[in-house]
Amino acid sequence: MIAGLFDNGALPVLERLLQFTSHRHSMLTDNIANLSTPYFKSKDLSPRSFQNALGEAIDERRRRPNPTNGPLPLDNTGQIEFRRDGLVVRGEAMNDGILFHDENNRDLERIMQRLAENTMAHTGSIEMIRNQFDMLRTAIRERP
Amino acid sequence: MFGSLDISTSALVAQRTRLEAISANLANAESVADADGNYAPFRRRIPMFAPGDPSTGRAEGVHVSQIALDDSPFRAKHEPGHRFADADGYVFYPNIDPAMEMVNALEASRAYEANITAAEATKTMLQASLRLLA
Repeated sequence: MIAGLFDNGALPVLERLLQFTSHRHSMLTDNIANLSTPYFKSKDLSPRSFQNALGEAIDERRRRPNPTNGPLPLDNTGQIEFRRDGLVVRGEAMNDGILFHDENNRDLERIMQRLAENTMAHTGSIEMIRNQFDMLRTAIRERP
Repeated sequence: MFGSLDISTSALVAQRTRLEAISANLANAESVADADGNYAPFRRRIPMFAPGDPSTGRAEGVHVSQIALDDSPFRAKHEPGHRFADADGYVFYPNIDPAMEMVNALEASRAYEANITAAEATKTMLQASLRLLA
């Protein structure tokens, strides 16, 4: 009953997106923290491969007889292992664009851009989860 | 998620330590004697950064692994009347170049700002997540 309530509609997708953005956020924060550390290579998770895995899982769910219910069958990518209770991630170090004598491939503008994008994706998905919860609440109360 | 704040804080601490070392270098740019008044030109201090944060035991973050001394030669000035002058009349001043220190200070304060921005982003995300519960 409760399980049917929370793996319904877009909620499982949004949950995975939140897990992804939180893990990516701590990785990006680490990159910013190590802006002036010699030999440090920035690490990142690819949003593209995550979105591909998510898209395939959504397509597979839609082919079922009951397309908006049930858990999301996600395939692991090279960087992300999807567990029931969360993600296990392995960030990939980027070895391109080493421009500095300390062998750090810092690129402040790119990192800050990624941070902004990731934050917006996170707050956006939270807003959507909120809407879903509000709808559930309205349905439970039987009044707006 | 809360760990991201630890990461940013570790970097703020490290960059502040770096700025303190730079201030000490600039302040002592002309110091030729030690605290007891003996002849000992100040050597430039170099903070060394390394990834990882020992205070939380995590692999993410950054810390100052050591404050190294710059072994480059001192600036020699010809001042025969100086009480610390050597046989040829030279006094050795600290190996500190104010221009270089200023550039490093600028970089440190920019990195500090970048980490503040990251911490602000973390706070925004955390607050949004916590509002889900209310």
